[in-house]
This record gives sequence, C-alpha cells and structure tokens, in this order.
Amino acid sequence: MKITYVLAAALLAGSSMLAATASAQETVNLTWQMWGDESDTALFTSLADLVTAEYPNIKVTPQFSGWTDYWTRLPVLASSGQIADLVAMQSMRMPSFYSVLEPLDSYIAADGMDKAEFESSIMNGLSHDGVQYALPYDVGPWLVYYNRDKFAAAGLAEPALDWTFDDFKADAIALTQGETFGYATQAFDYVAGPIALGAEYFNDANQFDVTNAGYVDAVKKYADLTVADKASPVFASGAGAISGSGRFAAGSAAMYIDGPWVLLNTKDSVDFKIGVAPLPRGEGDSRFITAGSGWGVAAASQHKEEAFKALKVLTGPKAAEILASAGRALPGRLAQQDFWYDVAAKDVSGTRETLKFMFEHSTPFRLNEYWNDFENLLTQYMPLALNGDKTTQEVLSDIQSQLPM
Amino acid sequence: MTIAQESATTPSRSAARRRNRLDIKEGRTAFFFLLPSLIGVILFLVVPILASLVLSFTNWKLLGKPEFVGFANYVRLFSTDPQFWAVLRNTLFFTAEYLVLNIIISLGLAVWISSLKVGQRWFRVIFFLPTFTPGIAVAIVWMLIFAPGGFFDFLMSAISVQVPSVLTDQTLAMQAVVVVSLWAGVGYNTVLFNAALDMVPANYLEAARIDGASAWDRFWKIRLPLISPTLFFGTVMTAITSLQVFDQIYVMTRGGPGSATATLGYAIYQKGFQNFQMGYASSIAWVMFALIMALTALQFWLQRKWVHYDN
Repeated sequence: MKITYVLAAALLAGSSMLAATASAQETVNLTWQMWGDESDTALFTSLADLVTAEYPNIKVTPQFSGWTDYWTRLPVLASSGQIADLVAMQSMRMPSFYSVLEPLDSYIAADGMDKAEFESSIMNGLSHDGVQYALPYDVGPWLVYYNRDKFAAAGLAEPALDWTFDDFKADAIALTQGETFGYATQAFDYVAGPIALGAEYFNDANQFDVTNAGYVDAVKKYADLTVADKASPVFASGAGAISGSGRFAAGSAAMYIDGPWVLLNTKDSVDFKIGVAPLPRGEGDSRFITAGSGWGVAAASQHKEEAFKALKVLTGPKAAEILASAGRALPGRLAQQDFWYDVAAKDVSGTRETLKFMFEHSTPFRLNEYWNDFENLLTQYMPLALNGDKTTQEVLSDIQSQLPM
Repeated sequence: MTIAQESATTPSRSAARRRNRLDIKEGRTAFFFLLPSLIGVILFLVVPILASLVLSFTNWKLLGKPEFVGFANYVRLFSTDPQFWAVLRNTLFFTAEYLVLNIIISLGLAVWISSLKVGQRWFRVIFFLPTFTPGIAVAIVWMLIFAPGGFFDFLMSAISVQVPSVLTDQTLAMQAVVVVSLWAGVGYNTVLFNAALDMVPANYLEAARIDGASAWDRFWKIRLPLISPTLFFGTVMTAITSLQVFDQIYVMTRGGPGSATATLGYAIYQKGFQNFQMGYASSIAWVMFALIMALTALQFWLQRKWVHYDN
C-alpha cells in the first residue's frame, strides 16, 4: 500500500516537473524575411541556428525574395498583417519603411548593449529621426574599383587615399585608349561622387534642392568625363545602375564606382588584378557616404522580446564572423571587420587602408521619404546630360520639378 | 364576348406563367453553374476596379491609412505634373506607330504565308513562336542587343554605319521599343489573319479570276473585305494592348532616356510600386482606362464604314 502511494506521488511529481519544463521550453517560431535567393539559404540558416543554440526555445526561419520584389512585397505584407517577425532593411530605404519596424532603443538600453561596437555611420543610417530601428550586418562606402593591370600598362601611379577629382579625371582620360574607357559611369555616381566633392543635394530642411550651384557643378564635373572627355560610355536608363560593373569586369573600363558588397563577386569574375581607392575629393577634405543593411523587429510582431533576442544573436560577433568569413558582408561590427579583410579582400590591393580611411571620413547619408523617386529620376534623366542632349543644369531642373516637395 | 376573350387568354397566360417558372428554375440552375466564375470575376475584377476608383481619390501610400483628397490627384495629373503630357504623348505615339506597323506587317505575312504551296504550317508556327515566349525574356535579350556597346552597336560599327547608341538616344529608344514589340506581337495577328484568309471561299476568287480580276483586285476587293471582321478584331485588341505597353519599357529603358519612352503603363508602375503613391497611380490608371474606352468606342464607330459582315 505504502509503496503504491510513494509510486503515485513520485509519478505525480515527475509529471508536474515535466509540464514545467515543457512550458519553459515552449518553442517560439520566428520568421525572418530578407532579400536573397536559394543559394543564400545555407548561410543564413547557419545564422538562424546560432539563435537556437543560444536560446533553445527560439526557432528562426529565413524567407527570401529577390531584391526588387522585396521592396514591393514589404509594404504589401506590412499592410496585410503578414510581415515576418524579423525584417531586413537597407539604410537608404529607412525613411520610407521605418514605420513597419519597432523602435529598438528601449530594448538596447534594457539589454545594456554597447552601440559603439557597430560602425557609427551605419547605426545612423539604420535610424530615423534619432530612433534606432534596425541593427546592421554590413556597411560600406561607395569607392572606386580600378584595374591595376591597366594602371600599370598606362604607366600611371595607383590612386592615393586623398586623391583629387583632377587626379581621377587625368587618370580616366589617360586610361581611355581605343575600345577601352578610363571609367564607366553609373547612376549612383551622381550621388556619391558629388558628396565626396563637398556638394549637397538637400537644403537645410532636408528637402531636395538639386539645382543648387554646388551640386550642379559637382554633377557636371562627373558628367563631363562622359560628354566632353569621352572617358566613359553613356549608361542606358534601363540598366543605369549596373552597366559599369559589367564593363569593368569585361576589362573594357578601367575604373567604376560601387560598394564593397560587390567586391567578392567582382574579384572572382575578373582575370586581372583589382584595387580599390576612395572617391576623389574636391577642394576640401574627403567625405564619404556609406550604406548598409541590417535587421529589425517588425512593429506588428507577436514576439518582440524573442525577436530582439534573436536579432542580438543575428547581429552578434559570431554571426558577423560567419558572414565576413564567407565574404558575404563587410560587418557593421568593427571588431569583426578583419575577417572580411582577411578573406574577401585578401587579394585586393588597398582595401583595408581605403575602407579605414573612408570610415574615418564618413558623413551622414542624408535621406528623406522621396529618396527612391530621386534615384529613379537620376537613372532615367542623367543619360540626357551624358549624351549631350541637355545640359546638366537642364537635367537637374527637370528632376527637381518632378520631385514632390 | 368577354367569355370568349377570357377563354382565349387563359391558356396563353398559364403557359406564360409555366414558361416563366421554368425560366426561373433554369435561371437558378444556371446561376449555380456560373457562380464559381462569378465569384472570381467579382473578387478579382469588380472589387479591385472599384477599389482603384476609390483609391484614386485618396493619398494612400501602401503603408498607413488612406486619406480622402477629393479630385487632388486628377488636378495634379492634368495641371502640375510636368511628366504627364509627355507620358500621354508617348503612349499615343507608340500606339499609333505600333498599331499601323503591326497590322501592315502581320497582314503582309499572312497573305504571303497563305500564298505558299508548301510549308504554310511551319511558317505559322515560326511566326507564332514569339507570342508564347515570355515578354520579359524577349525584352531582356533585346535589351542586351541594343545596350550601349552591345551586339547592335558592334554590328553597326562592323559595317561602318554611324548611329548613336539606340537606348541612350531620345528618338531611337522609342523605335527600339516598337521594334521589340513588333517582334513579339506580330505573330499573333499573322496567324489570326492567315486563318481568316484561308476561310475566304475559293469559288469567289476563282470566279473573279475568270472575270479577269488582277491579283491586286482580288486581294483588295474580295479577300480584304471578307476578312475585315477579323482585321477589326485584331486592330481593336492590338490597340488595347499597345496602350498598356509595359514589359518592354520596364526592362529596356525604364521610361528613359529622359521621358522619351515613359508611357502610361510604366508611369502607373513607377508612381505606384516604386514611389508608393498608390492613390496617384490609381488616378493614372483611370485615365488610361478612359483612353482605352474612348479609342475602342471610336473604332467601333468607324467599323461601320469599313467592316463587312457576310450576313
């Protein structure tokens, strides 16, 4: 009899303990939406596994869509309540989409996380009106990619860190020989280039003012490389954002401007030695804008606490190391950037010095909610200034007249 | 008299009632059979169309709540939007050029194919191929051909012809879009017209030949009038699709250079899905709708002058 009681008591105690463990371990399934394709699955699943290793009750599932589709789907998913718990965000899109994300400041404060572990310009890029909405996984300034073999063949010295626009122009002209252009211009050059020359496309109220003399002059400098010096081909509006990379990789252009995010692919797709240099400066000091991407917590998520825990791991040192070692991203975390320099940028001359110099001279990337409109208009209208149909002033006036105020 | 009248009307009235009841019963059955597609039409056509009409009076930006703004979108469209008139002009220009060329080329090909003794079927398949090739894929290939420094430029320089790069030239860019659209769109009309030509009774043509009508007369006075209903159908459908042109422009030019190839279809995409101004994009869509309606109505009105129905 006694034994039966003891057994029953033991069973009861055991089952209640089991129940307690089960409730503590109740799995929270988080979805994680980002751009990419099937080939990214393995890498990002390994990141998601880090979360489960740290918090066994949290399971993160990545979901991918193509880059262009991502930005069409995001607002649709957000307004239909189907947005994922963790949401990828790019710094340049933040002014349009910050409202779908949860402000992170209170979570960061409660956690005691040190924001200084991240590169400051991208932390700024992933915030809006001083509120942090996402944590970065990568960062990078626009820089000049150059073909070292062509520089050597033309007997030119490789670019210095603080080279000026005149140096850049002289090199571009000297490198233009026969079928080869010294430089292949793309639409975004007319944003990053003028900024480095000290120009502003905004007024003090953060509204577009692209017809101000400084900006017109800086855009004209870059446009003249095409229209006057014939050192660059005209880009077509349909492929304005990417035509330069193709020409550079094919060896028919000696320089072009892009971010470090393409470095790994570029390095692997060319059969010549490449180098990177900062964007050329104007009369004043160098200054560079950076962009990057990160992940935030959806404002509509049912599991914000868990999502932030997951976010901390996904943007943590180990995850940054994995992404950097795979060459996928120059980490937004300063301490982990070395992994990227050692792996992705191993054979690319000047990467470490150039990027360190550029981060030291970074300037806030000024954006507003019409940024996307502006970029599209640049792609659509700049070819007219490049083929000489219109002056730079006229093109920028056209663009200004179409930007909502 | 009244009795006779009553007796005469009663049976017919009850017959009508019976027929009526039958109609209702049949109607109900028919309704249930039609229900699946009716639900589809209401859900995916009627509701979105009405929603877009409502949206065109708001400033909805996809995120957040839409606010009613009255006719502000339409006022902006017709008065302050610096791009709208250029967009409208481009759309009409493209439609006119593409429509005329498409009909002439496809009719020419159809006549040529129907005159062939052998291989008619093969040519029909060959010309029809682009119709079931995805438009985006076609446009991407042509974009690579026409891109600066691409195959077309290489070809022109190889034969020492000086032409500006097609996609960066304001005039040529639209012509490139027309060429690509023709390549992709001519096949459908060719097959359509070819089928119609084959339906023309051989004895008419035979009789005309015996009467001494020339080949030109036989085409112009017999075959063309007899295929005019098909020609009319082809013209209306081609006009509608060309007013909606989008794929080629999205891939090849993105409306540029400048606003040289910006059309209504592309403007809707740009305003709605790139700039997230859904209300404004909806108002452009309604202008496009009105334009298509007007043009189609005009064509139906004109058809009385040139389309011959046999019966």
